Amino acid sequence: MTTPILEIKNLHVKVEEEDKKILKGVDLTLPAGEVHAIMGRNGSGKSTLSYVLAGKEGYEVTEGEILFMGKDLLEMEADERAAAGLFLAFQYPIEIPGVATMTFLKAALNAQRKTRGEEELKVPEFMKLVKDAANQLEIKQDMLKRPLNVGFSGGEKKRAEILQMALMQPSLCVLDETDSGLDIDALKIVSDGVNHLRDANRSMLVITHYQRLLNYIVPDRVHVFSDGRVVESGDRELALELEKKGYAEFDGTAA
Amino acid sequence: MEQQVVKLTDAENQLADLLKAAGANDASNALSAHGLPHRRIEEYHYTDLRTLLRDVPSDLAQANDRLPDVQFEGYGRIVIVNGKLVHADEIGGVEIKSADAAAKSVGNDQIINLMDGLAQNQIEITINTSLDKPIHIAHVHDGPDSVVADKVRVTTAEGVHATIVETFEGANARGLRFANFALDVAADAEMLHVQLDQNAEGARQFVQNTYDLHENANLRTLASHANFKLGRTDIKADFKGEGAHADFAGLTLLMDQQHGDFTLNVNHGVPNTTSTETFKSIVRDRAKAIFQGKIIVAPDAQKTDAQMMSQGLLLSERAEVLVKPELEIFADDVLCAHGATCGELDEDALFYLMSRGIKRAEAESMLIRAFLAELFDEMENEQVRDKLGDRVDAWLAAAE
Repeated sequence: MTTPILEIKNLHVKVEEEDKKILKGVDLTLPAGEVHAIMGRNGSGKSTLSYVLAGKEGYEVTEGEILFMGKDLLEMEADERAAAGLFLAFQYPIEIPGVATMTFLKAALNAQRKTRGEEELKVPEFMKLVKDAANQLEIKQDMLKRPLNVGFSGGEKKRAEILQMALMQPSLCVLDETDSGLDIDALKIVSDGVNHLRDANRSMLVITHYQRLLNYIVPDRVHVFSDGRVVESGDRELALELEKKGYAEFDGTAA
Repeated sequence: MEQQVVKLTDAENQLADLLKAAGANDASNALSAHGLPHRRIEEYHYTDLRTLLRDVPSDLAQANDRLPDVQFEGYGRIVIVNGKLVHADEIGGVEIKSADAAAKSVGNDQIINLMDGLAQNQIEITINTSLDKPIHIAHVHDGPDSVVADKVRVTTAEGVHATIVETFEGANARGLRFANFALDVAADAEMLHVQLDQNAEGARQFVQNTYDLHENANLRTLASHANFKLGRTDIKADFKGEGAHADFAGLTLLMDQQHGDFTLNVNHGVPNTTSTETFKSIVRDRAKAIFQGKIIVAPDAQKTDAQMMSQGLLLSERAEVLVKPELEIFADDVLCAHGATCGELDEDALFYLMSRGIKRAEAESMLIRAFLAELFDEMENEQVRDKLGDRVDAWLAAAE
């Protein structure tokens, strides 16, 4: 049996220095090559799960573990997780004034390579990689010269996230509400970008609260998230059922 | 006359003696009467020199011919060591001479009185034509611990374009340096004036820059506060001709218990003049950065546009950035704005960069550089930009 890309076992998480528990026993196994969707209403802990996976500070794991390709993910710093092949596409990508997007991309790619003990990319090699990936996502060169995410439209920000994902070739992509703030055209471009990256060696965790995105990025499995844990799992039909019946049917609380 | 009764510190007594020895009796008496500026004097509220300047070398710097370490490729170089002009390149269109420092009347600011009273020589630079290559004025303070006072006066002909880069360096570990610089920017002239401090760690430095701007003059300045224990740069600008514009910028990078103070006094005395101030401070440990900016708009100085911005980045809990803007506006048709921000590195931005594989230290340095980018982007002089970049690198490396 091959090792799953991601195994979350009985994960309990609270906000550091507060009593507020957010995740209350998450169990989830994501085999290599599969795309799983996590659906849940706002405040159910979906984004917290994505932050804990990516290594954001401010959360405390009180119980349980996360294995990333068999290794203890929680032992790793955020940058080490990225170098090991974990990528989080942010719901709200952060604006970083004063850092040109191109400069950032180069720093990030080379930092990961360095952590993995690989040689830095040569400039022409890097330029070509970026150009090809940018074209596919209909990203103009001009956007790459601008400071990272500064003044980008919602669609541009999300496309920039997928561009990074394409360049970094992660083993695990966590997409946090990637559809939020996208119109239909942008949604299609972003989804195409994501689908293009589907691969037998790459898994994806798609977090969303609308079924709509799943028409474009078709998941192998769907997990319903409520009050900090998975309450129901099924195939993609579950997403449609959820859309029809609403979350209350699954978590027993009114919206 | 009101009788001041001040119990002088040893440092004050010593400085008064030095003034007397330099023949500046009035300045010496004023210092004995008032002592050094302290926190109850508004301009020095955050830089209380009765507390901060307790230990002062007992002698004025002696003649010394050590050459500067800091070099700028292709610049015309003027070297001032321990207050004396020791070398000046031949620069076409520029006259350089050293004169006896003219006696100055005594004012209320004891630091300025010290500057004027202790300076033995006045280096006079006259720029008659536009210059292809910048002028580098290297101020060197060398030898045993001592007090030095440099004085430079620059005048320009109408319409000339030139760049002056000053560096302050020296191995004088506990040295006390006064430097007085005056630049008269003639009508239609365009000047860039940069000051980079490269002092020894324990150095104390007081600088005053006075700028006069005539009709349609254009001035850009940049000063750094990074290498000293205690430093204050007092910038005074006087708009004397319509259509003049000036950009004042400052870079502060302090750590340990360093204390740096930029105090500006920008006087828009005539109509239709514009100015900007951009001061950025990064502090860590228990360092303290001060920015005081005063803009005065005279009653008939209509259409003045003066923009002041001070931004601080605090990298440690006990580091401080103190900001005091003051606007005195007596005209009614003016645009004046002041802004100040102060904060820590953005944790969300750090996380974002780290989530892309960038190590925390590198992510921090990217954000710090980004914070400073504006200062660098505006600086067209490449060698200056490189030197500033090196400075930031060294500072970041030292802090790690």
